[in-house]
Amino acid sequence: MNMAAYYRERIKGNKTAMIGLTFIILLILTALIGPFFTVSPTEVNFSEKNLPPIGFSSEQSIYSAQDGGLILTNMKGILNHPLGTDGMGRDLMAQLISGARVSLLVGLLATGLAIIIGAIIGVSSAYFGGITDSILMRFTDIMMTFPFLLLLILIVYMFGSSLTLIILSIGLTGWTGTARLVRSETLSLRTRDFVVASKALGASDLRIIFYHLLPNTINSIIVLSSLSIPGAILAEAALSFIGLGDPQVASWGNILNAGQNDLQTAWWIAVEPGIMLFLTVISFNILGEGLREAFDPKGDSK
Amino acid sequence: MTAETILSIENLKTCFYTKKGIVKAVDDISFDLLKGDVLCIVGESGSGKTVTALSIMRLVESPGKIIEGKIILDDENLLELSPEKMQDVRGNKIAMVFQDPHSALNPIFTIGDQVTEAITAHQICTKEEASTKATQLLELVGIPMSKERYHDYPHQFSGGMKQRVVIAMALACHPGVLIADEPATALDLTVQAQILDLFLELRERFEMSIIYITHDLGVVSEIADSIVVMYAGRIMEKGRSIDVLEAPMHPYTKGLISCLPSETGKIVPIPGAIPGLINPPGGCIFHPRCVNVMDICRMERPPMTKITDEHYVSCFLYGGFNV
Repeated sequence: MNMAAYYRERIKGNKTAMIGLTFIILLILTALIGPFFTVSPTEVNFSEKNLPPIGFSSEQSIYSAQDGGLILTNMKGILNHPLGTDGMGRDLMAQLISGARVSLLVGLLATGLAIIIGAIIGVSSAYFGGITDSILMRFTDIMMTFPFLLLLILIVYMFGSSLTLIILSIGLTGWTGTARLVRSETLSLRTRDFVVASKALGASDLRIIFYHLLPNTINSIIVLSSLSIPGAILAEAALSFIGLGDPQVASWGNILNAGQNDLQTAWWIAVEPGIMLFLTVISFNILGEGLREAFDPKGDSK
Repeated sequence: MTAETILSIENLKTCFYTKKGIVKAVDDISFDLLKGDVLCIVGESGSGKTVTALSIMRLVESPGKIIEGKIILDDENLLELSPEKMQDVRGNKIAMVFQDPHSALNPIFTIGDQVTEAITAHQICTKEEASTKATQLLELVGIPMSKERYHDYPHQFSGGMKQRVVIAMALACHPGVLIADEPATALDLTVQAQILDLFLELRERFEMSIIYITHDLGVVSEIADSIVVMYAGRIMEKGRSIDVLEAPMHPYTKGLISCLPSETGKIVPIPGAIPGLINPPGGCIFHPRCVNVMDICRMERPPMTKITDEHYVSCFLYGGFNV
């Protein structure tokens, strides 16, 4: 049986991880095809503003031209806007689905970037050793001690806010953990006989790195990725929440930010993206934990 | 029949710079490997056999360093080659088989994949050609149903079978010299015998010369054409196999042979242990354990003394005094 099939069997046996995986797959599907079925997330309609989700009702004072003043009405959720609308009558479900795209995009791309940088720095640091190792690791230390959110704020403040920039800055600052992990694994791998044997048969450094070292650290890299995706998603949400996100896109952080002023009257605007963030983050976390367990050779005895 | 020298080691010295001091792991050794020969390097653990092999491959890692000497292969001094050229020599002209077959294979790739990988390291050929060749090599080293087993992973093989795969990888580019560092030590006795036979068979087939490192004199007597006896980084005695085994000159070689179980059932161990190499004993390095020790042995290092054209010994018992 090959290793992939073996790990697949093991992860399948883990119920919580499968729940996490199912949610993530559903989320990805929704983000991919959902926008074709919803109304435009930016369509403004003041006559339907602050509608609660279906099954909820809320008392709101609205301006009535007829009476020439504010009147109190009891608003009910309607089928056209199953998750309600925000203060400008924009459909929240459409916004959340478009936000899922943004969050997944940020999570996957930023983590991908961070993993690639971290793996390359970690593996070269350990493989070449000596002065290369010292320089790269001190650099990693410096990056690690840098207050990450502050750095992001600084970057966004200096260069303006765009999704690309946010992805780049999360990716370019988030590789330190990967670098450390890959380095420590490579340190033990590089003295293994098969690496020395490969050298004795004339393999080049690149060949050893890409054929022997990196593939043998792939398990840890996969686990680390699934655990750092939620970090990237949260970082984007946090940036958007404090108003430094890309104003062009409806990300969960942006919706949260917009909804925080209306918590008194329309709590669902802030709560809904909050729930989505929570579910997404916890799904990636339990999937990552499940992967870690599946890859752990000590888990066999259980 | 004049035998041609294929690999010549001259005054090789390899030291390790540790915090406690300099360890002379290989201290001024010279020997020649003749074409088609099996040369056995014999010695206790820690006598510098493996470091000698790694020095020949130029794979000694920091803090170790080759200080001086020449390693001449095909009229080229390997120690003067650029790292790129040396990388080309490894695998192509010299290949090495390591002691523990269980860790010498990458656990996450199939064995066929790994043999193919070894072939493509030096030869430019298509993936199909390489994998056909890999299947042939696996067949050649005695892996039954090599086509089917091509897609198996290392953990599905026994130790002996893994060692055959490792040998197949070493043979991938038809090297002229094969260095085998205790290739059978981690295997059980019946498998050991099979692997030894395989080496002898492959030597004929590929016209290779083999440096076989072992501490097992039984193995030596079976396969060696010539022998180098090492002790604490120095060569004690070297010569044709029959001379060294039948008529050992050096007290250490005699001691080693008397350590073997004989017909009388009496095993005579050599007293003492191999000395620490940071502050080795002065003079002859073997003198604290030697039964024939003389005053001069404590003062001076004995030179290589010629007994016959092919038999040399480093011992004052056979002359070599500075007058």
